[in-house]
Amino acid sequence: MRVQALLGVAVVLGSLVACGTTSENRPGGTASNAPCKGADGKYVIGMSQANVAEPYRQRMDDDIRTAAKAVPQFEVRFTDAQQDNSRQVSDVENFLTQQIDLLIISPNEAKPLTGVVKKAFDKGVPVIVLDRKVEGDAYTSWIGADNVEIGRQAGKYVAEQLLPDGGKIAEIRGLAGSTPAKERGDGFRESLRGRKIEIVVSQDGDWLREKGQEKADAILKSNPDVSVIYAHNDPMAEGAHLAARAAGKQDALKFIGIDGLPIPSGGLKAVEAGRLSATLIYPTAGKEAVEAAKKILVDCQQVPRTQTLKTQLITKENAAQVYAKENSGN
Amino acid sequence: MTGTEFVASRRQSVLAVVFRFQSLFGLVAVFIAAIVFSPSRNGELLFLTGDNLFNVVRAVSEIGIIAVGMTFVILIGGIDLSVGAMLGLAAAGSAVLLVENDFGLIPAVLIVLAVGLGFGLLQGVASAAFGIQAFIVTLAGLQCARGLARIWSGGQGVAIAYGDGPGEAPVAFSLLGERTFNGLVPIPALIFVVVAALAILFLRGTAFARHIYAIGGNEKAARLSGVPVKRVKIAVFGICGLLAALAGIIHAGQLNQGSPNDGLGYELDAIAAVVVGGTSLAGGRGSVVGTVAGALLLGVLNNILALNGVDTNVQLLIKGLVIVVAAGLQRLRPST
Repeated sequence: MRVQALLGVAVVLGSLVACGTTSENRPGGTASNAPCKGADGKYVIGMSQANVAEPYRQRMDDDIRTAAKAVPQFEVRFTDAQQDNSRQVSDVENFLTQQIDLLIISPNEAKPLTGVVKKAFDKGVPVIVLDRKVEGDAYTSWIGADNVEIGRQAGKYVAEQLLPDGGKIAEIRGLAGSTPAKERGDGFRESLRGRKIEIVVSQDGDWLREKGQEKADAILKSNPDVSVIYAHNDPMAEGAHLAARAAGKQDALKFIGIDGLPIPSGGLKAVEAGRLSATLIYPTAGKEAVEAAKKILVDCQQVPRTQTLKTQLITKENAAQVYAKENSGN
Repeated sequence: MTGTEFVASRRQSVLAVVFRFQSLFGLVAVFIAAIVFSPSRNGELLFLTGDNLFNVVRAVSEIGIIAVGMTFVILIGGIDLSVGAMLGLAAAGSAVLLVENDFGLIPAVLIVLAVGLGFGLLQGVASAAFGIQAFIVTLAGLQCARGLARIWSGGQGVAIAYGDGPGEAPVAFSLLGERTFNGLVPIPALIFVVVAALAILFLRGTAFARHIYAIGGNEKAARLSGVPVKRVKIAVFGICGLLAALAGIIHAGQLNQGSPNDGLGYELDAIAAVVVGGTSLAGGRGSVVGTVAGALLLGVLNNILALNGVDTNVQLLIKGLVIVVAAGLQRLRPST
């Protein structure tokens, strides 16, 4: 028993102390302006994804994979933090140990990832942040879309197209506390101000289809006078549609979502099939991230610090056409 | 004793040693494998760099601290599913107390630890006094802790800024995310070592420890021989809750944020560390040393798979297999 205990302590201490001598200095050093080896170099890019459970993020990885195939100098490694901030910090630290040439990160949350992103940036690794931001200015470039603007456009569409004479709306929100949920809600409300439209009920659907269905089911029972359901993403809007269909009310209601993924299970197809009245495209920025990486590493050029991607309203008129276009180059 | 008998008993005792140190041998094996499979850059093995090894220990420390508490519970034949939610509750609570209520460092930490201890004790009472299975009690506890965490924090992650002003946490709290001794050793790892060392000492020689092993071995027999079963059970759940809260405080300090959604699935990682460490889920047999080795083994495995860029889904598969193999080895263990 005693030997066992001592051995245990020795192992822990050993792994703590034994290795303090090596250092991780990269020969030659890499200042933030010197990672460019031009077209002859080989580059390893680390892509730290917050999770791949959401189809949106899976598509972001796919977009990066597809775009990177066209750049022969690039090898991209992907990690999946499974919605865990701690795990994502470790993922980035492991990338730094592997001495990647560039980091692309789509942070799970801003604050917890700020420190490790700064660490990478300070080591001279260019950092491209996608979608959610980090704090401070220790990154090379941020690429994403404006969720407030997307919410605004959703509100405008509802006010002008669906309820020009006013009416009652239910909102199914994203995960409480997440910034896109707040921003998609805020922008939406902005557009409804001064109109005879009332959001009579607002519930958290945690971004999930089944939660959207469950909440919509309750909403339809408690607020039968609602005529539009605005969901913060397409899966929740689809869930709401399922609930309405179960109650036989699918034709009396209109559903709108956000994301507009060009995949078979995505929002574009749902709009095309008429389940949703509209969705708004929330671009993944995957293709743009690889373009920026190519500029930094291969072309030795500067990239803009902020790149806000445009959204697009998708209705039955343009859904099929946009779907075809989004999948043509890939 | 004849010659063959001697050889047989000799072999028996060698086997016993092998099984007793199963997780340590496993750790050494995985460590060696990690060195062999380590990618290298400029002749330097990336796995063996100081920075990397300390990253491993840092990443392991939260789960490790939880797993130490979990070991106590599993030793009495119980299980605690609430620890991940407890970590979220403690992380959110720390952030709210420090940032929104402007508590000092020590009062905030003490309150959060008290919440963890109290929560654990309550679960212990529910389990021991009312005879509800630990699985059910702590499953309910998981939901309650998650709900409390969301209520306490207003459903949001609370960002922690540091300074002396109102709405800022004391700078000392940020030390939890720092490293010491030449900037190499992460503070959470030091706390893990201290917790593990205390637990190891505690489980040797104290009467309380003998009671734990007795209850896990045979609860009825323990009761008949005068072990205060209920009290020991309640205390064990209290320790587990306390350590989960400690991990939550470290979590908030490391990430500069307390989010009520943190710690999702950590209970399973902690249970995995305990199982890989050779502690029997039936109770009565196992050690904190094993758990520490188990947690480190899983951490090293995580690290080397990540360094080699193994696909995340394949990583999950491999980790699952390791857990099954470790548990399977216990079945072969001679029952001494």
